[in-house]
Amino acid sequence: MRLDQIKKDGQFRVTKVNCDNESIARLMAMGLLPGQEIRLTHEAPLGDPIAVAFQGCHMSLRLEDAAEVEVEKL
Amino acid sequence: MAEASTELRVALIGNPNTGKTSLFNALTGMRQRVGNYSGVTVEKKIGSWALNRDQDVQLIDLPGTYSLSASSLDERIAVDVLAGRVDGLPAPDLIIVVVDVENLQRNLFLASQASELDVPMVIALNCWDVAEKKGLQSDCKLLEQRLGVPVVPTVATRSRGTEELARAVEHAVKKKPMMMRPIWPSAVKTAVQKLHDEFIAKRGEALHTGELQRLIFDRKSAVRERLQTPESEYEGIITDVRAQLYKDGFNPDAAESILRFRFLNPLLNDIIERQAALKKRTATESIDQLLLHRFWGLVVFVGMMYVVFQSVYTWAGPFMDLIEGGTGALQNIASNALAATPMLQSLIADGIIGGVGAFVVFLPQILVLFLFISLLEESGYMARAAFLMDKLFHWCGLNGKSFVPLLSSYACAIPGILATRTISDPKARMITILIAPLMSCSARLPVYLLLIGAFVEPRYGPAVAGAALFAMHFIGALLAAPIAWLLNQTLNKGQKPKPFLMELPPYRAPRLKTMVWRMYESGKEFIIRAGTVIFAMTVIIWALLYFPRSAEVETAVTSAYISEQSGHTENAAIDIQLSPEAEAALAQRIDAAYLEQSYMGRFGKFVQPIFAPAGYDWKITVGVLASFPAREVIISTLGITYALGGEIDETSHDLRNTLTQAKWDSGPRSGEAVFNLPVALSIMVFFALCMQCGATLAVIAKELNWSWAIGSFVTLTVVAWVAAVLTYQISMLFV
Repeated sequence: MRLDQIKKDGQFRVTKVNCDNESIARLMAMGLLPGQEIRLTHEAPLGDPIAVAFQGCHMSLRLEDAAEVEVEKL
Repeated sequence: MAEASTELRVALIGNPNTGKTSLFNALTGMRQRVGNYSGVTVEKKIGSWALNRDQDVQLIDLPGTYSLSASSLDERIAVDVLAGRVDGLPAPDLIIVVVDVENLQRNLFLASQASELDVPMVIALNCWDVAEKKGLQSDCKLLEQRLGVPVVPTVATRSRGTEELARAVEHAVKKKPMMMRPIWPSAVKTAVQKLHDEFIAKRGEALHTGELQRLIFDRKSAVRERLQTPESEYEGIITDVRAQLYKDGFNPDAAESILRFRFLNPLLNDIIERQAALKKRTATESIDQLLLHRFWGLVVFVGMMYVVFQSVYTWAGPFMDLIEGGTGALQNIASNALAATPMLQSLIADGIIGGVGAFVVFLPQILVLFLFISLLEESGYMARAAFLMDKLFHWCGLNGKSFVPLLSSYACAIPGILATRTISDPKARMITILIAPLMSCSARLPVYLLLIGAFVEPRYGPAVAGAALFAMHFIGALLAAPIAWLLNQTLNKGQKPKPFLMELPPYRAPRLKTMVWRMYESGKEFIIRAGTVIFAMTVIIWALLYFPRSAEVETAVTSAYISEQSGHTENAAIDIQLSPEAEAALAQRIDAAYLEQSYMGRFGKFVQPIFAPAGYDWKITVGVLASFPAREVIISTLGITYALGGEIDETSHDLRNTLTQAKWDSGPRSGEAVFNLPVALSIMVFFALCMQCGATLAVIAKELNWSWAIGSFVTLTVVAWVAAVLTYQISMLFV
C-alpha cells in the first residue's frame, strides 16, 4: 500500500521509500525511514495535501510525494 | 572587518519551529542588524551578544533548516557560513544548535551533520514550557555525556537559560567540545578517503571532511559550486564514488539518513520514552480536528481571513486619516512659510511633503497586517491556512502560503509583497510578488467610486453599481491566475519547485513581544528601504508637472478671464476687484493652464493618440500619466485639468457633474461628450490592472530587483492598455 492511499484509522509502518524524490529525501532526513511508524491525521478540504504524524511531528505533504512511500498496516 | 575578526563568532542553527529566532532575540535584544547574503534573498541576521561584562560575541542567526543537504538556498547558506565560505564571515568559533526537546531525534540529525564541520558545539535544549517538568535536568546531563557537548536547557520565549548558555559558551570556547560522530562503515570511509585523495591531496582544494560527505550524499550539493576543479573533471569522480557505495550496499541517497538515525536512536531511546510522558501534543491534535476539518476548517478559515482583511481596512483607517490630516497641515504650514518663493513652496509642500505623506500613509496598514501575520505564524495557524489552501494554488506554481499575501494585497500590495517572505519556495514567492499588484488595492476604490457614481449608478441603479464595483475587484485576480501559470511555465524552467513539505507545529500562545518586534521590523524596513526610492520618484514627477512655468501663462489666463468677466474685450486693466469666488475660479484656471503647459501636460497631449482607442482625451491621458506614481492622484488631477481646483474627492458632486458635461475640445469628435459609460469602464479597467504605484514598484525592486520591477511595470501597463482598449471598443458596440 502507498502512503497516499491510507485511511485515517490505524497505524502504519514505512516499508520502502523512493529516495530519488527530493521531497522524500528531505523527509528521510526528518526520520521517515523504513521501519518508522506513521499515521494519517488530516486531509485538506480538496483532498490534497495530507498531514501525517511520525516521530512526534505533524508534516503536511502532497499526494504526489506521498505516492513515493510504501507502507504496511500494523 | 578588522575588528570583527578579533571578536568571537557564534552561529545559531536549528530546525524551523524550534524557537531559534526567539533565542536570537533573547540573546541580542535590539543589538542586531538584518541584511541579505550577497546575491541571494536569504536574510542575514547578525547580532551582538554580551557574553559577560567584558566580552561581546558576534551571533549569526542562520536560516532554519532540517538538514544541511544544501538543496535549498537556506541550507546552502547554512553550510557556507559554518564552513567559513561567506565573504566577510570567517568560519564561526562555535555553533549553538537549538534543539526542540519534543523532537530530539529529528533536531539532533542537523546537529550531527554540523558536527562533521569541525566546529565546537553547544546544544541549547529549547523546551518551551516543558522545561518546568521534572526529569529534564537529569536528561540534559545524560545527553551531555552521550553526545559529548554541553547541553543547556532554555526557554527562549521567556529569556530563561540565557545566563547558563553564556557560561557554557565561555567554557566551550576554551575546551572546544565536539559532538560525537557516527562510526561510519568502511564503505563510507573509503568513499570519503577517495574524494580526499582526489580533491584535497591531488588538486589542493580546501574542503572539510563534512563537505566531502555532502559531495557524496547530496545529488546536487552546493559544495560543487565552490570547487576549483572544472565540473567535467570531478563529475566522473563523484559518480564513481557513489556507484561504488551503491555496490557496497549503501544507496548514497539514503545512506546518510539511515546511518545517522541508526547512530542517534540508541542514544536517545530511553530519554525519548521519558519525554513522551510529558508531551502535550493531544491538545494540538484536537484543535486541528476542528481547524483542519473539511467543512468547519474552511468556515473558520474564511472567518479569520475576513477579520484580517477587515482589520487592515478599518483599524488602519483612522491612523491613515490622521497621517493624511498631518500631511495636509504640514503642507499648509510649509506653504504659508514659503509663500514668497513659489517654486520652493510647490517643491516642498506639493512635491516633498505631499509625496512622502502619500507613502507614509501606508504604514498603518503594514503594521496592522504584520500584527496579524505574526499572530498567525506564532500561534501555528499560518501552516494550517497554507495546508487548507494549497490545492487551489498548486496548479499555477504557487502554494498555500501565497494566500495571505494575496489577500492582504487587496488592502495594499506593499504589505502583501512584504508578507511573501513567509513563502519559503523562491519561485512561488517570486510569482506571488509579481501578481500581487493585480489584486485591487484600496487606493483604486476612489476611482471606482467616482466613475461608477457618475456613470453607472444614475443610469442602472445601485444593484448594477454594486455588481460593477465587485467586478472591478475581481478582474485583477481573474487575470492573475493565467499570468501566474505562464510565469510558472517560463521562469527557471529547469528549476523544479521546492517540495511543499511543511510542519504543522503545535499551537502556542503568541508572545506580545515577538508580535511588536515583527511590526517594528516590517515598518522600519518599509520606511527605510522603499522610502528613499519613492522620495526621488515623487520629486521627479513633481518637476514634470511643475515645469516649465513661464509667468506669461498666468498673465494670459488672467487677462482672458477678466475680459470674459467684465464683458468687453479691451485690456481691462489691473484695478478690477474680483470677488473671492471669482478669484478662486481664476486660480483654478491658472492651475489648469500651467498643467497643460507643463512637460507632463505636453507629454500627455503628445501620447494621447495612444490612449485614443481606449476613448481618452488628453486631459484623461494626463490624469493617467500623473497617476503612475500613485493612482489616487487621478482624482485631483482630473479636478485640475477640468479646472475645479485640487481639493477634490471622489464624492464631490462638482467633479461628477463636470465629468458628465465635459466635451471634446478639438479633433474629429469635437463637441461630443468625453465621458460615457464605455470611457468610464475603460478607465476603471485600466486602473484595476495597471501598476500605478511608485511605492509598490520600489518594494518589488527591493524584494526582487529592478529588472523585475521594471519588467512587471511594463507588462502590467501593456496588459492594462490592451484591456482598456478592448473594454472601450467592445462596450461601444452596445451603447
